Amino acid sequence: MESLPVTEPVLLILLSLAREPRHGYAILRDTEEMSEGRVRLSTGTLYGALRRLLEDGWIERFGEEDSSRGRQAYRLTSAGRRNLQAEVSRLKHLTRVASLRVARRES
Amino acid sequence: MASIWRSLLCLYPARYRREYGAEMLTVLLDVHAESSGQRWWPRCRTSAREAAGLVSGALHEHLRSITGLYRPIRSPRRFAMHSEFRFPNSTAALMIVIFAAVVMAIEKATAIASSQWPRTNTPLGPIRPAGFTFLPTMAVIFAIAALAGTVGWLVLFALRRSGVHRLSEFDPAGGRGRSLKDVQLNVNE
Repeated sequence: MESLPVTEPVLLILLSLAREPRHGYAILRDTEEMSEGRVRLSTGTLYGALRRLLEDGWIERFGEEDSSRGRQAYRLTSAGRRNLQAEVSRLKHLTRVASLRVARRES
Repeated sequence: MASIWRSLLCLYPARYRREYGAEMLTVLLDVHAESSGQRWWPRCRTSAREAAGLVSGALHEHLRSITGLYRPIRSPRRFAMHSEFRFPNSTAALMIVIFAAVVMAIEKATAIASSQWPRTNTPLGPIRPAGFTFLPTMAVIFAIAALAGTVGWLVLFALRRSGVHRLSEFDPAGGRGRSLKDVQLNVNE
């Protein structure tokens, strides 16, 4: 299970929840900001990913429900945080290897 | 706009809609409110993206509820990073040109038909295109333009995926490419 990586949108969603709980629109803004405008999720994509993350127990609903449930916030579960850390260290390793290889080719 | 989003949300399975519908609508309206300050073109793109996302999301959810297919978060497609989807400007230009050409051709044809035939006083009478009404014509023109545009876009997309455009960036004599000196250095190593 630990071997397969997550997709880029999912990674960005997890990263945007890493520091504090956020609701849907804030996640959209944050992912766009983090990827410097490269990844612009649509609402449908976002909620498809959120649903899967909820079902797999990576994130959970957070806070009291608003009047119309319009602004439900989400936060990482401890399992989700662990998985995110594993993913980040995998990416770190990858970028380190990549920079080494690229540098060797240029020198 | 809210009614459009609401009707698109109706495409989702009922269970999903009960769980996330209100929330998604709020987000959609937030996105819409944010984009309303922009010019019309970015606004159109935002709306189109949201609509496409909703339709594809609804399709996914239906497929999932029918087949019970489980798509794990960790997917082997991590490195199939999608390049940015862009509808190339050249395709839009091509579509406009084709559209204009078709309109002009029809204009000419009607002009010829109306100027020539009524004068010849044959018993057959003037030959006129039958049932040449505005709306069907526009529909046909639009269909042709859309088809041509799609084909053009597919060709451009295929070319882009095959990496032909990188050939023009390739500089064999140096620049960022490997020069002869580099090659010799490598040989010495």
